[in-house]
Amino acid sequence: MDGNWAALKAGSDGKVYVGLACHGCNGHFVYYDSIKDHMVDVGDLTSLSGESSLGLGPQSKTHAKLGEGKDGRIYFATHGGWWFDYARFATPEGYPGAHYMAFDPKTGAVQDFGIGPRFEGINTGAYDPKFNRIYGLTHPRAHFVFYDVATGKKVDKGRINNWDSICRTLGIDDEGNVYGSFGAGRIFEYNPRTDEIRELDAKLPVRAKGVSLGRDYDKSETAWRVVVWDHETKKFYGVEESASTLFSFDPAAPAGSQIKILGQMAIADLAARREVPYATLSLTIGKDRKLYYAAAGAEFDYVSSAGVAASHLFTYDLRTGALVDQGEMHVPDGRPVLGTNSADTGPDGTVYFVGAVSTKGDPPGEGYGGKIGDTPFRLALFILHPKGN
Amino acid sequence: MIVFCGAVLVAPAMCQRDLSYDNVVVPQDRVDARDLGYAPVDVIPDGESGITSLTVAPNGDIYGATSGTRAHLFVLNPRHGYVQPLGVIPGVTSVTNAVVVSADGDVYLGTAPDGSLLKFSPHEEYQKQIQIDRPLSVKNLGKPVTGESIAAMAIDRTANMIYGLTYPGAHFFEYSIASGKATNLGVVAETIPFSEKFEKEKMMSRMLVVDAQGEVFTSGEGGSFFRFDPKTQKLEKLSIQAPAVPGREPWTRVDAFLLDPSGLIYGGTSDGYLFRLDPAHLTVTNLGKALSQYRVDGLVRSSGGALYGVGGGKDDMARLFSYEPSSGAYDVLGFVDVNRRPYYTWQAYSIGAMVCGLDGTVYIGEDERISKLYLFYPESGQK
Repeated sequence: MDGNWAALKAGSDGKVYVGLACHGCNGHFVYYDSIKDHMVDVGDLTSLSGESSLGLGPQSKTHAKLGEGKDGRIYFATHGGWWFDYARFATPEGYPGAHYMAFDPKTGAVQDFGIGPRFEGINTGAYDPKFNRIYGLTHPRAHFVFYDVATGKKVDKGRINNWDSICRTLGIDDEGNVYGSFGAGRIFEYNPRTDEIRELDAKLPVRAKGVSLGRDYDKSETAWRVVVWDHETKKFYGVEESASTLFSFDPAAPAGSQIKILGQMAIADLAARREVPYATLSLTIGKDRKLYYAAAGAEFDYVSSAGVAASHLFTYDLRTGALVDQGEMHVPDGRPVLGTNSADTGPDGTVYFVGAVSTKGDPPGEGYGGKIGDTPFRLALFILHPKGN
Repeated sequence: MIVFCGAVLVAPAMCQRDLSYDNVVVPQDRVDARDLGYAPVDVIPDGESGITSLTVAPNGDIYGATSGTRAHLFVLNPRHGYVQPLGVIPGVTSVTNAVVVSADGDVYLGTAPDGSLLKFSPHEEYQKQIQIDRPLSVKNLGKPVTGESIAAMAIDRTANMIYGLTYPGAHFFEYSIASGKATNLGVVAETIPFSEKFEKEKMMSRMLVVDAQGEVFTSGEGGSFFRFDPKTQKLEKLSIQAPAVPGREPWTRVDAFLLDPSGLIYGGTSDGYLFRLDPAHLTVTNLGKALSQYRVDGLVRSSGGALYGVGGGKDDMARLFSYEPSSGAYDVLGFVDVNRRPYYTWQAYSIGAMVCGLDGTVYIGEDERISKLYLFYPESGQK
């Protein structure tokens, strides 16, 4: 396993569900049983899709948010790993397409709802318990799609963006409206009642672009990186890609006043730099009315990271507006958290992140994720008990 | 320092663009793109911008029509270089290879689902302000075949005749611009081929072509070619067929036709084959395939004589290819992608139409929820 992006859900049953990625091999769906304090491997995604031994591109990831249904099941979708510059797109040996799935904690069984978008993965997604739908943005063609669990309908609403700048988080409000970022810092809204996509006037606080090569060439800087919905304020809180600017987005506010800048989720020494480390997907709302965000200490993307540095934990108090860099993140034996790309809050207020931690020097083997520079790492679930919980 | 509990679980993110991607797309000094209007406000809206028709007017203007929740007409004057939306085509959601321009410059639109033939008479369009939601001022010339949508059209400017195919009945019709009379001349497909349950269409070509003699060619059921002779007013099923993998003939269509100055007709099929049809001797030569993909979504001839086409289907990623008739050589030019970072980037996955302008520039119309018009310069540095 070499990465995790977005795929983390702290369930109401106390279990923490995680999608693990493996490029060129099978991704896995696992969960952490907080009561028994152990990790359970539900299975590899290719086998769960019924595609093992078929000679197809593997189901290498769950690359989108997991969601919990009213029935207690965990809903998710799969994604491909290698794309070979799309030379194998729509070929017999290529990636067959993302599967929509549900894991039932009561039985331990995964239900496969079949392939949704042909040849494409679900790059970004979210589950809505209100309408019982798994939403997604596909890769590479950037279509907005969904699976309606009750009816079994698979719907493709068409293209949203270009492949190299697909936003990595879909946000869903209490009414089941779905929001995503597209174009140059713009926001779209999908209304499940009208089945229509509307492009809003709201504009994200995206930093003006500089040179076109380097980080800017490899990674989009035009979208939000992550958003979370706050049931109390009825707003989204998010971090955009270009400078890790923290913002709120109020869909109900009048046009022109929907977006407010709240601060910058970047380490002070790096914040003003052109190469401020790319925003992570690690944002969650704690039970204490604080946002928790893990900022990378150096450009972090597992084996594609720019260097080894400890992540910092940032908090933003939704009541006071206080933004605090809480310092470096370390595990109890002192090893630094090298980076994370998912976060969620459990029902008891425990905050979870998934990311990379250096190995203890053990040789490559089970659980070895690769190297960042010369530093071998493993994937890990990081558990934070905020004070007062 | 924040100390975490760590539960160890038993890459790279290759979903971003890197420099190697430039090797699999059309060379960037030969391609560019245009928004369908003046971005960001005065553009044909997303969901209405799929380009499904392109044609070249006698004066060199490029006319295009879109499909979606509404259909729009636009024009590009190569001298100006930008796309000017002309208005919403009233009551229409689709115009598929069904825009033609007569010798006197009138623009005719074959519409769906209504099935009306509409006439638009341009008049100093570039002097007018863009108003995206403005209804296009058209004259309704009636429905050539009652109860049928228009699926494709072609024009014989010399004879002042428009020819078309209809959906779902696969009727072939003619319309006399001079008399304003439409005539239903028969069908090119009688039945829906034996297929899976989701396949419910008669098979006919997605374009028509008028040859140098004024005869009109289409494909119909079984991949067979049909010819209409305006002198005898006879629509005839020919004994020649579009190339297909043996056994796939019932589902074969001609996707694109092209009349070469030599008098020969080139075309591309739904299986992705390029062919040459000799209308004088009624022979068909299978020229093979440039791509492993299905479809030839567009085919044009450059001023230098080479053919350029685009292949790939609705679920696929379109690639541009060239074919040199003199040598029989193919070249795969790559994905239809424009990378003008930091200003804009966009890749077309699905192509709905393609034409070659009078100056040799190839125009490629994207057919997706969000679509752009691509400009490809066939021979680098010499248009």
